[in-house]
Amino acid sequence: MTMMSADAVAEPLARAAAPGGARLPARRSAKRRRDTILGYLFISPAIIGLFLFVVYPMVTSLYHSFTDWNGLTPATWVGLDNYVEMFTKDPTFWPSVAVTFLWVAISVPVTIVAGLSLAVLVNRALHGVKVFRTIFYLPVVLPAIAVLTLWKYIYDPTYGLANEVLRFLHLPTSGWLGDAHVALPAILIVGVWSVGGTMIIFLAGLQAVPHELLEAAKVDGAGAIRSFVKITLPMIGPILLLQLVLQLNGAFQTFNQVAILTKGGPGTSTNLLMYKIYNDGFANFIAAPQLGYATAEVWVLFVIVMVVTLLMLRLTRGRFSAGGEA
Amino acid sequence: MTATVSSTAPAAVATPVADVPARRVPLAHRVPRTLSRVAWYLLCGMLALSMLLPLVWMVSIALKSNGDVNQIPPEFFPNEFQLSNFVDGPAQIHFYRLLANTMIVTVVSAFGAVASSMIVGYGISRIDFPGRNLWFALIAGSLFVPGVVGLIPLQHLYINLGLIDTWVPLILPAFFGSPIFIFLARQYYQSIPRYLDESALIDGAGHWTIFTRIMIPITKPVWITVAIMSFQLAWNDFLNPLVYLQSQEKFTLPLGMASFLSDTAGSQYNYYMATNVLFMLPPLVLFFLAQRYFMEGIGSLGTISK
Repeated sequence: MTMMSADAVAEPLARAAAPGGARLPARRSAKRRRDTILGYLFISPAIIGLFLFVVYPMVTSLYHSFTDWNGLTPATWVGLDNYVEMFTKDPTFWPSVAVTFLWVAISVPVTIVAGLSLAVLVNRALHGVKVFRTIFYLPVVLPAIAVLTLWKYIYDPTYGLANEVLRFLHLPTSGWLGDAHVALPAILIVGVWSVGGTMIIFLAGLQAVPHELLEAAKVDGAGAIRSFVKITLPMIGPILLLQLVLQLNGAFQTFNQVAILTKGGPGTSTNLLMYKIYNDGFANFIAAPQLGYATAEVWVLFVIVMVVTLLMLRLTRGRFSAGGEA
Repeated sequence: MTATVSSTAPAAVATPVADVPARRVPLAHRVPRTLSRVAWYLLCGMLALSMLLPLVWMVSIALKSNGDVNQIPPEFFPNEFQLSNFVDGPAQIHFYRLLANTMIVTVVSAFGAVASSMIVGYGISRIDFPGRNLWFALIAGSLFVPGVVGLIPLQHLYINLGLIDTWVPLILPAFFGSPIFIFLARQYYQSIPRYLDESALIDGAGHWTIFTRIMIPITKPVWITVAIMSFQLAWNDFLNPLVYLQSQEKFTLPLGMASFLSDTAGSQYNYYMATNVLFMLPPLVLFFLAQRYFMEGIGSLGTISK
């Protein structure tokens, strides 16, 4: 099946793309044809995946967002009802949007700055640097659920390590996840603790910066900060941009942290949109399945992510030479 | 742009910058340098300690006796070691059955991810055919489509296909190439000199031969990186099993660990943490075994700008 679909795509495209093909020597055009077929064969898994896991769900979910659907009986078309209910009636929708934006606005810059700082710190050829790199990366290797359940206990007001440390430092203890003002920052601390993934990608970028450039700047009398801003930052621009977009995407879809640590509480202080969607669509599945409504929420989240991503790309256009875009 | 061959060999990327020899540096320069080194070690040491502290604390709880673990105020170190936690803890959630489930899902997914991303990456970067840039842009662009969009339609699709409550939904996507892995593979392929495959092509080798005989050995760092990352993704996956699995005997470890926490409600945290340590071990061991390749594979992302 794989072969057939790839051929079917490859044939007309190959002909369309090479209208002058007939004028080429027969052997070359035969090779070109073979390469086209082979090329599409090689990338066919990704093309099928694109349609199956991206295009198909997008199209069907857009349709379902305009329906009343419980997942069991056929969906009925309700037009914009879901969206109207979301924007005007659902009491938890706007607070959820607000806390999601707050979370993104805080967590993305903090993660990027922390990851980049750590990468700069360990981008040195000193003894033991590999040990530090490994230690800083370690939390990323550990399963998210293992890490989050560990942190849930760390934040336990009575038995947890967090208050133990505060007591040790003679500081006032906190309610942590039980305190509406502290819960979101507490989730962020866990994110910063596992910032090694961001660090390692920045480190890869930093190591690709030609050493001669930095040496030349040094000879010209540029300080460390100046050469970082003038040379290193522009050089790692594309990686920075990629990180920014991925982090934004991830932050808008934060789920595990909320599901394990706070269940959206206390109150609605950590009820991120993604967790609300899960609750509306899946968790209340048996009691009141609202898949149509949840799908509409998914689309709102999707549009938010797309708009923010495009804005980000537009704002940074020209500042970074994004090579990854081909 | 895609045809340009990066001048940086992949191996060179991960090599740390050589330090300038310390000889003949005047004393006035040497003292601040030593000071900056001491400061660096202090800073890194403090950061490392604070990063390791939660893990040390976890191991300490895993070793505590039933009495110690509920003591108020808590003490950091156990008074006595209760090694039986590592037996009694896992027994609470049928740990070894869940471990076997997770192993199967993870290993098959990792295999699928490596095979698909290496093959697709080869096609995109080493075979010259019309449309490949467009497809690469589409595939890379799908990186920015939030995964949540697929959740509900795919769940419904799997229900209709009778695949809900099986491992198929957890494994299948890996075989169709994830955009980030394809991107990583393509970056690495781009850094391999063209003359390698060109001379093989002249010798009459086909693309499949070049892929299996030449590319697979040279691209070892990147496919090991993809293997590790996809292993971690599958091992850690919580949302998908939560949505797709229903019967407890099919659960993966993240689900089991999450239910452990809600079932035993606090009193047996020594059991829980002991089990958590075991849950963390496989990805940890894998990472340390393959660390060298991993750093090199990630290093190819450094050439993203070329």
